[in-house]
Amino acid sequence: MVEPSETEPSLETRPHGFRLSPIHLTAAVRRQILRGLIVVAIFITFVAVLAAIFGISILQYTRDGFRVSAIVIVAAIGLTLIYGIRGFANFAYGDLMTLGAYVALFVNLNARLSIVWGAITSFLVLILVGIVLEVLVFSRLEGRGPVAPIVASVGVGLIIQNGINAVASTDQWLYSIPVVGDVPIVPGLGINWIRDVTTFAVGFSFMASVHVLLKYTNLGKAMRATADNLELAKATGIDTKRVTYAAWAISCGFASTSGVLLGLIGVVSPQMGIQYLLLVFAAVIVGGIGSAYGAMLGGLVVGLSQEMVVPLLVWLGEPDVIGLPHADAYKVAVPFMILIAVLLFRPSGIAGRQTAIVPRGVVTGAIAKALAARRAPIGPPGSDQKGG
Amino acid sequence: MRPLARRAATKKGGDPAAVDTGILVNVAFYASVSIIFAVLALGFNLQWGYTGLFNAGIAGFFLLGAYTAAIVTTPLDPPTIVGGVVIVPGHLGGFSLPFAFGAIMAMVVSGLAAVLIAIPTLRLRADYLAIATLAFSEIIRRITTNLDTVTGGTNGITKIPRLITFDPPNPFANAMVVLGAGAALVLAAFLVLSFIEESPWGRVLRAVREDEVATMALGKNTLLFKIEAFGIGGALMGLAGALFTLTIPYLEPSNFAPALTFSIWVIVIVGGAGNNRGAILGAFLIYGMEWASVILKDYVPTAFKNTIFYTRLMIIGVLLIVLIIYRPQGLLPEKRRVLK
Amino acid sequence: MSAAYPLGPNAILEVREIEKSFGGIRAVDRCSLVVAPRSVTGLIGPNGAGKSTLFNIISGLYRPDGGEIWFGGVRIDGLPPYGIVRLGLAKTWQIPHELKKLTVLENLVLAAKDHRGESLVNLFFNPSGIRKDERRLREQARSILALTQLSNLAHEEASSLSGGQKKLLELARVLMTEPALVLLDEPVAGVNPTLAASLMDLIEQLRQGGTTFFLIEHDMNVVMKRCDTVIVMHQGRKIAEGPPDAVRKDPVVIDSYLGG
Repeated sequence: MVEPSETEPSLETRPHGFRLSPIHLTAAVRRQILRGLIVVAIFITFVAVLAAIFGISILQYTRDGFRVSAIVIVAAIGLTLIYGIRGFANFAYGDLMTLGAYVALFVNLNARLSIVWGAITSFLVLILVGIVLEVLVFSRLEGRGPVAPIVASVGVGLIIQNGINAVASTDQWLYSIPVVGDVPIVPGLGINWIRDVTTFAVGFSFMASVHVLLKYTNLGKAMRATADNLELAKATGIDTKRVTYAAWAISCGFASTSGVLLGLIGVVSPQMGIQYLLLVFAAVIVGGIGSAYGAMLGGLVVGLSQEMVVPLLVWLGEPDVIGLPHADAYKVAVPFMILIAVLLFRPSGIAGRQTAIVPRGVVTGAIAKALAARRAPIGPPGSDQKGG
Repeated sequence: MRPLARRAATKKGGDPAAVDTGILVNVAFYASVSIIFAVLALGFNLQWGYTGLFNAGIAGFFLLGAYTAAIVTTPLDPPTIVGGVVIVPGHLGGFSLPFAFGAIMAMVVSGLAAVLIAIPTLRLRADYLAIATLAFSEIIRRITTNLDTVTGGTNGITKIPRLITFDPPNPFANAMVVLGAGAALVLAAFLVLSFIEESPWGRVLRAVREDEVATMALGKNTLLFKIEAFGIGGALMGLAGALFTLTIPYLEPSNFAPALTFSIWVIVIVGGAGNNRGAILGAFLIYGMEWASVILKDYVPTAFKNTIFYTRLMIIGVLLIVLIIYRPQGLLPEKRRVLK
Repeated sequence: MSAAYPLGPNAILEVREIEKSFGGIRAVDRCSLVVAPRSVTGLIGPNGAGKSTLFNIISGLYRPDGGEIWFGGVRIDGLPPYGIVRLGLAKTWQIPHELKKLTVLENLVLAAKDHRGESLVNLFFNPSGIRKDERRLREQARSILALTQLSNLAHEEASSLSGGQKKLLELARVLMTEPALVLLDEPVAGVNPTLAASLMDLIEQLRQGGTTFFLIEHDMNVVMKRCDTVIVMHQGRKIAEGPPDAVRKDPVVIDSYLGG
């Protein structure tokens, strides 16, 4: 029988490890799948209702939402990996995405190769960058608390962003890709081969590969163990150094891919990544730090909520309603508000320590539980001491 | 700060009127902006260096203070409409109140915002607090950019009245006045901060930073103390914002990007967290770099003009990394306090 | 043992059916006990019995999953730690939590409950009152330091103290809060026997003055010699209580803990 150690209460809690259940088709799994299908059905109904209110154009926004979600998911998986294994929020992540987009741009325009080669090169270059960062910077900050690496990552971000500014100027660039129009599916909804199909395909394949990695490979299992408890992992003989390098490699590789995808659906500019930084943080926290599946869910929530609120905002912006100028620009407020709500009521996120992967009654139950736990300083994270 | 300008004057040979006032105005400008950074750093120092609250949204509180002061002090500026289209949106204003009032309102608004944000977020651990405050800062900036009718949007707020209007316009006198006001304010802030930091109240803060649970167990409502510290820090950032409006021709949102927050981080880390003198010194050092880079721009071939600007920011990045790894206590360590 | 416990003069602290789980583990499992006023009551039990957890719950650092805690007729479970200290219940730490960068004297003055200087409003509007408080509380601190034989260390940084001295500092700090009930978590663990004896003498002296002590200890000599009542916990609940001699001979206790 395991006896609880008489530990001192501590306000510091490390981020949680990855949550994964082996997917044998047990009754429990069948129930999960059923729940998932119900969620999908609810979502479709929701969209139908919105379409009735705002018109068929809602489908465009839904498509935009999925587009953004795909990018955010890929980015969020990368961010949550380092958050779980190295234990800090990487504020340079947006700039790493930007760097990835620019490396691909360089290959695309200067070497005149297809953007696909650009993306692959970018992935490899960013893997290198990640490992260099770990060796030069972040390995020296182990055990210094969550603030010191944040400060260092801000420094890294400044270097990357201004390096790009200095080399490539602040102009906006476009990838050299075939120009393709939207293919209409239903009236009011068009799908674009490059902007939508590519994004979705890449998003799905990356999600699937992460799942395979974490569940079926030894490296994946080692990563989960390390994220759960670093000391224990070391004690059981896991080469945590190797795991950490692998995590940085994947994290930065994913950053590069999401950056390239971002460049595909829009423009390549020095600010492109940091504009997404808070969105990706939101996805990671909503989903639960350290949880890859949480990142997927969080990315979905963040992307969809941001884009699908636009028709509502436009309506609010009309002169006879509120008359809010530039109303659609406030769409980013929605994921931010969700982030803040999660921070307040359920900081451990969806896939945090206590819930199943498909959330069930998460909002009310979580609020009640967290409100109870919040009164005592132990449990949900409290303030840390000065980092460094 | 003030002596800096006077020394430059006497160096040139005694009679200030005969001196090349262009250089003096420049130096006075450098000193004034350094003072603004110093006030920001003093506020952040109280929050983080003293109490351990990691604020990543400094730019947001700075913005609130600046816009509040601008709105309170500017005369009415109706929107410019040509052919039924609004070219330059007007902004909220028309109060034309004196600067002192603007500064006080700025402190109140920023301080209040800090308290409101603190109440729900100060229980969060440091990285969550950083993310939440960064989100706040970006939301505020986005609202400012888009709420044209109140803030003037991307065109901003113009015609901010100077502290004393000279007739005929005298840039040198203006610069001196701003410098004087700034010096007085930063000195006052420094003294007030020293007073409260050495007080029993400050002692509780130091205890909270070191071991919050132990401090709670000694009967202190630590959340209240943290909120108070965060609020005062926010008010100082608002004051810096008010000062800022005196130094620029017009106010617009791009001044308040996160890079500003990171610069303040560097300043406080360089100067030594918890050390107010260090914060002021750090401000002059770090802003000195920026000011120097602006001057250097004129002496550098056109191809590299902008590179200087980016290089300076990259240096700040490197500084952040090197300092946090090798010398997180800064260049000037915290004073040892001994109760007698 | 199953009778309802009356409050009032018979109990200063009453723990009723307290439960606390961490993850799937029940650290405290419907524990009920009573501490008599002006007593020195011991709490013993094997490692993992839930003793420190119970102390953390009583002092407000943990919130119980179930049950109630009554202190001097007031229900205190659910109150924040600072509220409980203000009511007169304070706890020391098993591993000392001295405030390292403050001096010993500052550590004590900090613990005072009613320093006007800790209020921002007073800071600006009543500076003379603050000076008076600071002087008065420093005097009070010095007398407590004298009691705990730490006087010569008053201006030393707390981090420079030895292990035993830090334990003394824990007690001194807690005394500064003028408690009616003190929870001591292993007050003499790791302390040399002479110091331990004088510490326990001090506790006895304070008890004569009206303070109640509830202490966790593993040192059986201390427990047997110094405690009026001993409560035994095992696997999160109380399994025995009574005078030390009775408890020592209780077969249930011997089975689970003393092992002969």
